[in-house]
Amino acid sequence: MPLLNDEIRQEVSKMLAGLPGPVRLVMFTQKFECEFCTETRQLVEEVAELSDRITAEIYDFQADRAKAEELGIDKIPAIAVIGAQDYGVRFYGLPSGYEFASFLQAIQSVAAGKPELSDATLRVLAGIQKPVHIQVFVTPTCPYCPQAVMLAHQMAIASPMVRADMVEAMEFPHLAIKYQVMGVPRTVINETVHIEGAVPESMVVAKLQEALRA
Amino acid sequence: MLDFKLAPSQPEARPSEEEIYDLIILGGGPAGLTAAIYAGRARIHTLVITGPLPGGQPANTDVVENFPGFPEGIEGPELARRFVAQAERFGVRMIHDSVTGVDLSVRPFVVRTDMATYRAHTLIIAMGAVPRRLGVPGEDRFFGRGVSACATCDGFFYRDKRVVVVGGGDSAIIEGLYLTRFAREVVVVHRRDQLRATQIHQERAFANPKMRFVWDSAVEEILGEKTVTGVRVRNLKTGETSVIEAEGVFIYIGMEPQTELFAGQLELDERGYIVTDRRQRTSVPGVYAAGDIQDPLYRQLVVAAGTGAVAAMEVEKYLEMYPQNHQG
Repeated sequence: MPLLNDEIRQEVSKMLAGLPGPVRLVMFTQKFECEFCTETRQLVEEVAELSDRITAEIYDFQADRAKAEELGIDKIPAIAVIGAQDYGVRFYGLPSGYEFASFLQAIQSVAAGKPELSDATLRVLAGIQKPVHIQVFVTPTCPYCPQAVMLAHQMAIASPMVRADMVEAMEFPHLAIKYQVMGVPRTVINETVHIEGAVPESMVVAKLQEALRA
Repeated sequence: MLDFKLAPSQPEARPSEEEIYDLIILGGGPAGLTAAIYAGRARIHTLVITGPLPGGQPANTDVVENFPGFPEGIEGPELARRFVAQAERFGVRMIHDSVTGVDLSVRPFVVRTDMATYRAHTLIIAMGAVPRRLGVPGEDRFFGRGVSACATCDGFFYRDKRVVVVGGGDSAIIEGLYLTRFAREVVVVHRRDQLRATQIHQERAFANPKMRFVWDSAVEEILGEKTVTGVRVRNLKTGETSVIEAEGVFIYIGMEPQTELFAGQLELDERGYIVTDRRQRTSVPGVYAAGDIQDPLYRQLVVAAGTGAVAAMEVEKYLEMYPQNHQG
């Protein structure tokens, strides 16, 4: 049984028809003990089938440890969405429901390799000297979450110092507890700064600067 | 059950701030996007500033069953996506940004967003309504951390916990029932002694063993140190206060128009709705309003779409009357 129905496949094919560059979906799974690994792998393979510019690469989290470390993958299921270079765009957990839109957007954005952010934001990002790790906690039933995820991913594409993760809170409940997630989207920057809700770009930039000062 | 939703496509490039648009539509819900479809077909040079949720309230609605043309109903997000696609088909520019200010005292009008400033000869304001807040102590502090207005987003975090739902209308009851999938108990706190919700929802609520009702009561404070521990409620008939222990509070007390930006610039009614006439004109010539932001009565998708169409047709007439402004 395919995960994506015919109608969705057709729409996605159309959306991905003009991809300006190649995209690698590097997925990490393992044989046992991963609730949505099977579905995540299937999704990656089904989406890759819809465009000849997308390739799916499946790795085993245990057996291919070196590869996981190289890409900074620390939990599964994981998808690294990689364009002409690795911008640090990651999905932890199955991007289903509303998050499917974030996934498709990430594919299109890394293919273009050109972030859609304001000049003011790009100036701030260009000046970053320290690594920034943005984690956006989501649930697949949250219509406001993709906005927060897409913004974080755009920032990762804009700056080699920034990496950005979607983290599906239901699949990683221990992280939801660790980061005190009681509502989504909740964005955590460098472990220190939190943002509740899908907030405007300028506020994320301000919080990012706050995290860099911490 | 796994599903995969498609979203409105993202804009490819930022719109120019130098250009003067014939029309800027503030808001990308049913009213704004219907206006955009009409404006696009009339070849009016148009920019839509979509706001936080492109597609508007339908994007946050499970199934829409009362929009004509969909006898089986249609998923809200899918309808929202189609609205956007249809507007784009007619060449309308869109930006996913939120309006932070307007200046209606100058021509062309000025619209400021989080990241840019745009100008236009005419405006259609269609920014809809947002969930009303309680306005009690603790609410702001815990919003997103125990206080929520989105059960589908946040219900998961209240597995086996007790939650309070404030309100007695359809949203409160539908979302309260949704929360029973996760929560141990859902306590509905309502100001009256009976629900306003549609009969079929009431029946389901009363039949659900996880639902409990606290009547004639208003929440006065959300309690807690680091996390929410409960709410203090006052019985409006007896005046007595009591505490309901709970780890989450979901607020569904209706919607209100978001019109602070326009106060002092446009005529608003006593509840904050923009005042319009039958042609969707506001108190400032060249500025129109459509959808829930000017509709205290119906707030229906199909009505919002209808007023959006009227506003766009009026904009077309207005631009013809002042052709020196029209960029063509």
